[in-house]
Amino acid sequence: MADYEERQSLLGDGDEGSSTGRHTAGGAGRPMLAICDPSHILHRVIVLIFMCFLGFGSYFCYDNPAALQTQVIQDLSLNTKEFMQLYAWYSWPNVVLCFFGGFLLDRVFGIRLGTIIFSLFVCVGQVIFATGALVNHFWLMEVGRFVFGIGGESLAVAQNTYAVNWFKGKELNLVFGLQLSMARLVMTQNMEIIHYNLNLPFPYFLFCLLHMYLFTYVFDFFFLSLAAVTCLFSLICALKILHKEQGKTGEVIKLTDVKDFPFPLWLIFIICVAYYVAVFPFIGLGQVFFIEKFNFSPAEARAVNSIVYIISAPASPLLGFVVDRTGRNVVWVMIAVVATLAAHMMLAFTFWNPWIAMSLLGVSYSLLACALWPMVAFVVPEHQLGTAYGFMQSIQNLGLALVAMAAGAILDTRGYLFLEMFFCICLCFALMAVVMLYFVNYLRGGELNLSAAARAKLQKEATSDAE
Amino acid sequence: MAAAVKTPISGAAASLFLILLFSVLSSAQSYFRGETTRRNLSVELNPGWPSPSSRPPNGELLHVRAVGDNDTLHFLFCSQGAPTLLLVHTNTSSSSLKVNWKEFVSRNVSGSLKVEPESSVLYSSATVFSRLLEYDDVNNTAEPTSDLFPPYELGSFLWSRLVLSGPSARLCGVAPDNATFANGSLCLQLSVFGEGGRAESWPRLLHTANSSQVEVWLDGVLPRATQSRFLLELQAVGGAYRPSRVEVQRSIDDEFTPSIFKVSRWLSSENGSSEILGFLQWKPVASRGRDSSVENATPCHHSAPRPQSSEDTARASGLVRAFYAEPQTVGLNVSFGLAGDPFYNSTRFLRWTVLIGSGSPPVESFSPLVLAIMAVGLGTPMILLVLGGVYVCIRKRVAVTAAAYQPIN
Repeated sequence: MADYEERQSLLGDGDEGSSTGRHTAGGAGRPMLAICDPSHILHRVIVLIFMCFLGFGSYFCYDNPAALQTQVIQDLSLNTKEFMQLYAWYSWPNVVLCFFGGFLLDRVFGIRLGTIIFSLFVCVGQVIFATGALVNHFWLMEVGRFVFGIGGESLAVAQNTYAVNWFKGKELNLVFGLQLSMARLVMTQNMEIIHYNLNLPFPYFLFCLLHMYLFTYVFDFFFLSLAAVTCLFSLICALKILHKEQGKTGEVIKLTDVKDFPFPLWLIFIICVAYYVAVFPFIGLGQVFFIEKFNFSPAEARAVNSIVYIISAPASPLLGFVVDRTGRNVVWVMIAVVATLAAHMMLAFTFWNPWIAMSLLGVSYSLLACALWPMVAFVVPEHQLGTAYGFMQSIQNLGLALVAMAAGAILDTRGYLFLEMFFCICLCFALMAVVMLYFVNYLRGGELNLSAAARAKLQKEATSDAE
Repeated sequence: MAAAVKTPISGAAASLFLILLFSVLSSAQSYFRGETTRRNLSVELNPGWPSPSSRPPNGELLHVRAVGDNDTLHFLFCSQGAPTLLLVHTNTSSSSLKVNWKEFVSRNVSGSLKVEPESSVLYSSATVFSRLLEYDDVNNTAEPTSDLFPPYELGSFLWSRLVLSGPSARLCGVAPDNATFANGSLCLQLSVFGEGGRAESWPRLLHTANSSQVEVWLDGVLPRATQSRFLLELQAVGGAYRPSRVEVQRSIDDEFTPSIFKVSRWLSSENGSSEILGFLQWKPVASRGRDSSVENATPCHHSAPRPQSSEDTARASGLVRAFYAEPQTVGLNVSFGLAGDPFYNSTRFLRWTVLIGSGSPPVESFSPLVLAIMAVGLGTPMILLVLGGVYVCIRKRVAVTAAAYQPIN
C-alpha cells in the first residue's frame, strides 16, 4: 500500500500537478501572464531551455583536453599518461560525491542554492584550469579539473532534479532525452569551436572561460532573476510550488542498503563500468589515433571522433522509444556490447574506414544507455533506487578515473594496438557479465528480460493486487 | 516463452563470435611468419692488412661473414671516406674476400676488393651515408627545399677507430675544421644478425638472418640556426640492379613504436620481375632523446629516389670505388621532423635506425602475447555462452521429462 502511494506521488500525473498549480494560483487571487504561469506549457518550455543551458558550460568544458590533446602535450611536454590525468582528476571527486550530491541538494543547500554553488565550482574550476594553461603549470590544470569535477557531476544531478520537478509524468522521458541530446551535441561543438579559436591571437583557453561564463553562470542567475522579475506576481506561487515539491531528488541515500543489493544488480554495475571505460577514454585519445593510423587530417579526425556524440543525440530518444516498446532489456544490452566490441576490433585490426566503426559505436552507446539504466529500477525496490544509482555513478567514475590513467600508460609503452585490445578486453568482461546476467535472470525467473507487453501485464496485475 | 527465444539467441551469438574469432585469427596468420634460417657469423677487422698492430690510414674495413647452409652473405663496412655498407650475396658457403690493400687505400682503382669466386655472386649492393644536410626552418613547415646550409660531406669526415663488440661495430666521426662539431659527433652502429628476431633497442625493428641494422645518431652537434632541422642523404649503389622504388606499407601493429603505423621500404628488384633482391627498411620515426620515450619520437619522411652521379659516389666512398667498376647510384633524403615538431636545438640529439639486407624484407607480425590475449578475451564469453546454453537445454529436457508425469487426479 505504501509502495503504491509512493509510486503515485513520484510518477504523478501531469494533470494532477497542473491542476494543483492552477488551484494554488487561483487561490492566491492574482491574474498572471501565461508565460509566468508555472503550470503552463510555455513557461515550462522556457524552463526546459534554461535547464538545458544549465549544463552547457560543464559539458562543453568536459572534453576540452581531448580537443586540444596535441597542443597540450606539446606545450607542456607531457606524455599521454600524464595528459590523461586531466580526465582522471575530473572523476576522482565524483567517486565520493555521487552518493552525496543528491543528499546535499536535498537537505543541506536546497536545490537553488545548490545549483548556484555547483555552477560556481564549475566556473572556478575552469578558471583555474585556464590559468594553469596560461602559466604553463600542469599541476594547476589538474587542480582546476578536480574543482571542475566537483561541480560538474553534481550539476547534472541538479539538472535532473529540476527535470523531475517540472516535468513529472509522461514528458519526463522526453525531457531526459532532450537534455542528454543537448549535452552530447554541445560536446561535439567543443571539439570544433576550440580549433577555430586557435587561429585568433587570444590564448585559446580564454575562450573556454568565456563560453563557460556566458552559459552556465549567466544563465543560472538569469534563470533565477527571470523567475524573480517577470514572474513577480507569481513569485509566491513559484516559491510555494518549489517548496511543495520540496526539491527532492526523489532518493534517500543509505549506504547500508549496499549489502542488500541483489546479484543481478552487481552484474549490471560490472556491465556499466566495463562498458563506459571502453568508450570515454577512447574518445579522449581518439583524435591522434585517427590522425596517425588512418592518415586523417586533424579536422577529419575531430569530426570522426565526435560522430559518437552526434549520432547519440538523435538516436537516444529513438532507441529509448524502441526499447520501451519491445522490452527485453538484457538482449538489447548484449547487442550493444557486441556491437561496440565489433567496432573496437574493426578499429584495432583493420584499416577499414573508421566512420563505419565510430557510427556503430555511437549507435551502440545510445542503445546501451537506453537499455541498461532502466534495468536498475527493475531489480531494486524504490527506496533503494537512490543508493543504487548513486553507487553506480560512483563506481563508474572510479573506473573512469583509473582506466583514464591506465589508458595513457598503455599508450605510452605499448601503442594503440594494445590500447584497443585493452578496450576489447574490458568489453569482453562486460559481455561475460551480460551473458551471466541473462542466464541468472532466466534461471531465477527474474523480470529483466520481459517483453514490454509482459511487463505491462505484470504491472497491471501488481496494481490490481494492490487495490 | 523466454526459453524458446533463448536458444536461437545463444546460437546466433555463438556463431557471431566464431566468425569474429576466425577472421581475427586468419588475418593474424597472414602476419605471423617466422624466419627459421640461421647463419654463422665470423668477424674480421681489416682482413689481409699486413701489420695487425697498426691500422690502414684514413679508415678501416670490417668484414662480417654470415654463412648459411648453401649461401653466404658478406657484410663489409668501411670508413674510408663516407661510411659504406656493402652487401654481397653468394650462392656458395665457401666464398671469401680478397683485398689488395695498396690499391684499396689509394682509392683510385676499382677491383681492389673482390669476393671470390666472382661467378658465385648473386646480388650485391652498397649503401653510402653520403651527406648530412641542415636547413633553417623559419616558418616551421618542415619543407627542406629552401635555406639549406652548406652540407656536411661525410666523405671528408675524420673517423675514429671501429669499436667492435661481437657482431656489431661503432664508428664515430667529426667534420674537420668545423666549430659546430667541437663537442659533438656523428656516429653509426652496425649490427649483423645471425638469426631472425627483434632488436633490443628502440625502435625494435624486426630483422631476419639476411639483414643488418645501422643506427645513425647525431649527438651534441651545434645547430647553425635555432630552428634548424636535419636531413640525411643515403645513396644506394648497385651493379646491375639498384633500389628503385620506395614503398610505404601500413601495418596495424604499433606495439614497439607507439603511434607509428607505417614501415618504409626501399626495394631493389629485377626489371620486370616482382622478386625482391634487396631492401632498406625503416620505420618513419626518429628519436630526439637518448631514452627513446614517446615524447622524444619525431616522425620523418623521405624524398623520392633519384639517380645521382656515380663518379661522385665512387670518389666519396672508398668501398664503392674498390668493388664496383661501373656503379649505378640512386639517392634519397630522409628528413627528420614534421611541421610543428620541436627543433633539433631542443635536445641536440637525433637518432634513426635502418635495416639493410638481401632477399625479402621482414614483415611485421603479431607478438604471441597479442594473439594469446585476443584468444582468451574473445574465447571466454563464447565458451560461457555455449556452456550456459547447454546447461539451460539440459534443464529444459529435465523439466520436460518431469512434466511427462501427469498428476493422477
